[in-house]
Amino acid sequence: MKESYGVRLPGLELDDLVGKLIVLEGTDGVGRSTQIRLLKEWLEQQGHAVLDTGLTRSGLVGKGIKRAKEGHTLGRITLSLFYATDFADRLENEIVPALRAGFVVLTDRYIYSLMARSMVRGLDPLWVRNIHRFAPKPDAIFYLRIGVDELIPRAVFTRGFDYWESGMDLYSAEDMYDSFRKYQTALLDQFDRLAEEFSFDVIDARPEPRVIFEQLKAGIDRILTPGVARAAETATAPIESSEAAVAMMIEEVSEERRKRA
Amino acid sequence: MKRYGDHRIPGRLFVVEGIDGSGKSTQLMLLHQWLKAEGYGVVFSEWNSSPLVKDTTKRGKKKQLLTPATFSLIHATDFADRTERNIIPLLKAGAVVLCDRYIYTAFARDASRGMDAEWIRELYGFAVKPTVAFYFRVPLEVAMKRINDARAGFKYYEAGMDLGLSDDPDESFRLFQGRILEEYDKMIPEFGLTVIDATLPIETQQQEMRLMVLAKLTQAKQLRVAP
Repeated sequence: MKESYGVRLPGLELDDLVGKLIVLEGTDGVGRSTQIRLLKEWLEQQGHAVLDTGLTRSGLVGKGIKRAKEGHTLGRITLSLFYATDFADRLENEIVPALRAGFVVLTDRYIYSLMARSMVRGLDPLWVRNIHRFAPKPDAIFYLRIGVDELIPRAVFTRGFDYWESGMDLYSAEDMYDSFRKYQTALLDQFDRLAEEFSFDVIDARPEPRVIFEQLKAGIDRILTPGVARAAETATAPIESSEAAVAMMIEEVSEERRKRA
Repeated sequence: MKRYGDHRIPGRLFVVEGIDGSGKSTQLMLLHQWLKAEGYGVVFSEWNSSPLVKDTTKRGKKKQLLTPATFSLIHATDFADRTERNIIPLLKAGAVVLCDRYIYTAFARDASRGMDAEWIRELYGFAVKPTVAFYFRVPLEVAMKRINDARAGFKYYEAGMDLGLSDDPDESFRLFQGRILEEYDKMIPEFGLTVIDATLPIETQQQEMRLMVLAKLTQAKQLRVAP
């Protein structure tokens, strides 16, 4: 059972989908693909069939976008719509059929990344939300959150600065470093807003990949195993931040101590 | 990002709409010739012609990869590219821009393919509102006869064959274009389309069109003349 954010596409039934749609969101270089790889292996070991997918991989427009981006001549509205087309193609040809067949679909980014990028480029936030309203609501959205200061060394010491990830189409007069910093700061700001609006599960992306992986596993377990989900729901209020959870624990412990004393 | 109706730019935008075989392209060509002869800086832009997007659309159509949703989105992408790189800069520069088909084509076709009408309107919300949008209204039978006289058979998407309305291209064309005509009729009051009776002699239609265009051009102060 799935539903969209309000717009139905002809011939695309969502109410008979039995699989689970799990989204990993986060900015460039935050470690999403590493986690997807680990999660896929783990889920398959558990006996779940997994489809992993990401942006600009569609059969229809994947190549077209790549070629157009090489020329750096795409306008911002055009770029948004090109990505939306690609997303619709993957949705209809990969994601929905896999969900219908009972797969766990792990997607590296979803409409939220597309929306964040478009809004950083100054497009009307309402328009940006509306054009993506045909997307099915995921079962979970994990947002790997990082600050720009932690992000920069990762970019420098791994892949270097990429033209688009540095928003060079926006701040072309500046060097890649300044541009990257400005662009990613704006992007993270948009993600924070979306996180609230669309109730992301926010995960701190600063620790070791293994630590993040354990958190993701726990989160996915809650979705895949209804029993665990119920237990988790009754045990705690929705875990919005680990800080809140820790604060509650400390409170309980000190309460205990006071009683004993 | 400016919305439909919010652009304040010196140029003038004239668009023609109608089903295949309505004669709209001929009329636009005649208008183009006249405007050129009058010395206006005039530029023509055709539906589905962006060099960046065209290859993807072509491949999608040829291999029949397009669903109503991707058909709709890829055409919007094409239109966005032309709007951002041609139509808006040209209008800002004070040109007269002529478009063969505009957003109303998408509204009619996509709605006929079952897409959400409100969503499509929002999708094209960035479009510049035309100075005049001419709608060449013609009965289905007349349009079909014109097409059949001019070339052999209908194209796959033009006949709406992707919708599975009928295995017979003629019948499918009739059903699909019939739906499109209904959608156009609904849009006349919604968008204030200027209706031209496309069964009248070519010269009469052109005369009507030129009168209306001229009225809009004489009001304009900053139009460019051709170099």
